[in-house]
Amino acid sequence: MTDSILSVERVSKSFGRHKVLDEVTFAVRAGSIHALVGENGAGKSTLMNIIGGALPPDAGTVSIEGRPVSFADPSEAIEAGISTVHQEFSLFPNRSVAQNIFGHREPADRFGFIRWRALRERAHEILSDMGVDLDPDALVGHLSVGARQLVEIAKALSLRARILILDEPTSALSDREAQRLFSLLGDLKSRGVGIVYISHRLGEVLQIADEISVLRDGRLAGRTTADASPADLVSLMVGRHIEDITPPRQTSPGREIFAAERVGRAGAFSDVSFRVREREILGFAGLVGSGRSEVARAIFGADGLEAGRVCLDGHALKIASPRQAISHGIGYLTEDRKTLGLFLPMPVRDNIVAASLWKLVSRMGWLRPRAIRAQSAAYVQRLDIRPADDQVETLNLSGGNQQKVLLAKWLSVEPRVLIVDEPTRGVDVAAKAGIHRHLRALADQGAAVILISSDLPEVLGLSDRIAVFRQGRLVTILDATTATQEDVMRYASA
Amino acid sequence: MSSQVPGDPATARVPAPISPAATTPVGRLAPFAAVGRWRALLRTREAALVLLILVVTSALALAEPRFLNASNLLSIGTGMVYELPVAAGMTLVLILGGIDLSVGAILGLTGVVTAMALRSGMAVPLAVLVGFATAGSAGALNGLLVARFGIAPFLVTLGTMSIARGGATVLTSGYFLSGLPASYIAIGRGQLLGIPYPILVVVGLLLVCDVLLKRWKPLHDAFYAGHNPAAAYLSGINVSRLVFGGYVASALFAGLAAVFMTSRLAMGYARFGDMAELRAIAAAVLGGASFSGGTGSILGSTLGVLLLALILNGFVLLRLSVYWQGVVSGLMLIVAVAVDAWRRRRNEAR
Repeated sequence: MTDSILSVERVSKSFGRHKVLDEVTFAVRAGSIHALVGENGAGKSTLMNIIGGALPPDAGTVSIEGRPVSFADPSEAIEAGISTVHQEFSLFPNRSVAQNIFGHREPADRFGFIRWRALRERAHEILSDMGVDLDPDALVGHLSVGARQLVEIAKALSLRARILILDEPTSALSDREAQRLFSLLGDLKSRGVGIVYISHRLGEVLQIADEISVLRDGRLAGRTTADASPADLVSLMVGRHIEDITPPRQTSPGREIFAAERVGRAGAFSDVSFRVREREILGFAGLVGSGRSEVARAIFGADGLEAGRVCLDGHALKIASPRQAISHGIGYLTEDRKTLGLFLPMPVRDNIVAASLWKLVSRMGWLRPRAIRAQSAAYVQRLDIRPADDQVETLNLSGGNQQKVLLAKWLSVEPRVLIVDEPTRGVDVAAKAGIHRHLRALADQGAAVILISSDLPEVLGLSDRIAVFRQGRLVTILDATTATQEDVMRYASA
Repeated sequence: MSSQVPGDPATARVPAPISPAATTPVGRLAPFAAVGRWRALLRTREAALVLLILVVTSALALAEPRFLNASNLLSIGTGMVYELPVAAGMTLVLILGGIDLSVGAILGLTGVVTAMALRSGMAVPLAVLVGFATAGSAGALNGLLVARFGIAPFLVTLGTMSIARGGATVLTSGYFLSGLPASYIAIGRGQLLGIPYPILVVVGLLLVCDVLLKRWKPLHDAFYAGHNPAAAYLSGINVSRLVFGGYVASALFAGLAAVFMTSRLAMGYARFGDMAELRAIAAAVLGGASFSGGTGSILGSTLGVLLLALILNGFVLLRLSVYWQGVVSGLMLIVAVAVDAWRRRRNEAR
């Protein structure tokens, strides 16, 4: 193709005996968005690393505008006009927006002193060109995740990128921020930039991509356009049809287990009331920053509750620490598994029992190794954690399996009330379906589940009722069987 | 070494109860699990240290026959008695993700305070209690500032180090405090079945600490708290209480060393325990503790202390100046830390 700005032809790559990419071919036209989808481990990151110059291919060629290129390192790829925005940002939180955009390419005078005004002006130029209202002097550490993403993209643009690779750009964005990103991408498209867009979120892929390539087990499983259906994409990704992604909901919730009555915390949320019943999943929907996680942290005892009260089984309860919450049978699966959830350098077994160890000790506090081993093995099997060896350090597991370990840690507590915060963020379709099944199974056994999620189809599909939050208040509670995405968004944004 | 051998810090530090058979994934696949278990044991940090200690011991014995004299061995043992409790406390603090630079100074201050109490005519048990109260309050100050106010432990303990050492010097004007009662001196010099009391006490203490850390939940939680304090807190672990307790224990252990040292040497002196923190950190890191927290063992640190003591003893036997002690300890610390950094980088690389 002559109009391809980037083309990858029959690229293969192996790590040891493991073939990660097998003769993958795809091309991106200038001024178009080419989405790359696939399960975790399908080879997307490896392909991205090869294009971005971080890895050499074993075989095959990468060409820019028809000319084959080979990069010794990422800086050569950047030189050639390829910029990558990684899932985990590479920004300096203690530096200003302008400094981050230019990195070490700050304009300097002939003595090496930085020309601050020029730096600020050029940063402002790039940002306003993007239609973004960001203060070049603001510290990146003070910005929201969405704004940081924009800084990353501004950085890529300052490098005059002709090819932009985005890896899971919306995984930490609110819906509004994601929409802003999409319109920016549309803008870049019209200027002739070729965009490679990697995402787990099929809805947004279908919304913005011109072409979609599906990778499965290192091979190109198929190529399609934006008029494909999500079900088609899923079956291409997993190689089989996943008929019903969300398990059937329970029709008869039992009696009320947990209630929050007019709870509040200054600056975070106020006057929030809700009840959850046995066998029920209550969804918490809302934009990022609407107070959902803050409510969860407060009722779990991680942050203080300043107003209102919580009741368990109809009795008012004072919860001053996570320790107390857990002893009452309340669990909280946190959203950021790396920093708040798991002990990554520790083996899987230690992670699985981390919150339930107090149940696996003698009266004097001595650990019971056999009970610990059995508990861990049971959950490895039940959640199909791979590898099925609980002595492996958790950091060696894939994202989806790490998330399963985190779920196992909380299921092991045998909670009566489990709050899960973005339980499937960044995990592949199959692992996601598995996590949904286990959450529903937990509810079916009589527990109450509170599901915080920014993934609307997930909240709608898995919840029985949906509490919608806006700016620290619970605005309404919808019946999930009749509510639509539009309903939720209307209440969430307004 | 392949990347997942149990000699790895992460696996080696996993306490026995959770992984009595610290088998590798490879060991798992081996048809004879027991073989894998033995191999795993041989690849631990502790096994590597034992091997190193054997090598150093043989070299010393060959180079200088006097090394094996009972009196020399006993002098190594009595020298270690002051280092071991300090290293044990340091191990706990390092596991919790902190560091305690003040232990050497607390040792000095505790010795001075105890000696002053004794010289004022206080009964021996009471004077020892006063000493421990001094050490304990210094530790509580560290713990409070780190756990409650979240100040960096390096800075907090650097400050208390200066305060304690300075305070001890002010109290004594730099003089030795001798003339301690015989019943006090008997603590350090007395023997049971030919073994000095301090050795018995310290060995008992180390055993208890080792077992508690590995098998007793309230202390075992330290590994979780050290690896990821935020996640540990959200898993129901009282992280700040553990951290506070860690600094108090570390200071009390330094106080114990002070009692043994002042009673054996029959005097208090403000410079006792000089650079003890450095030797304790070196020993603990040699023994598998890491500055990133979550790893370390009492057994490993004990072996680290032994290795350091043997090397320093070699210097004495080979008639090199004892002033080399600081140089050697510093070198060992840097080597241990470099190995730690290398291990961590390799772990991150995969």
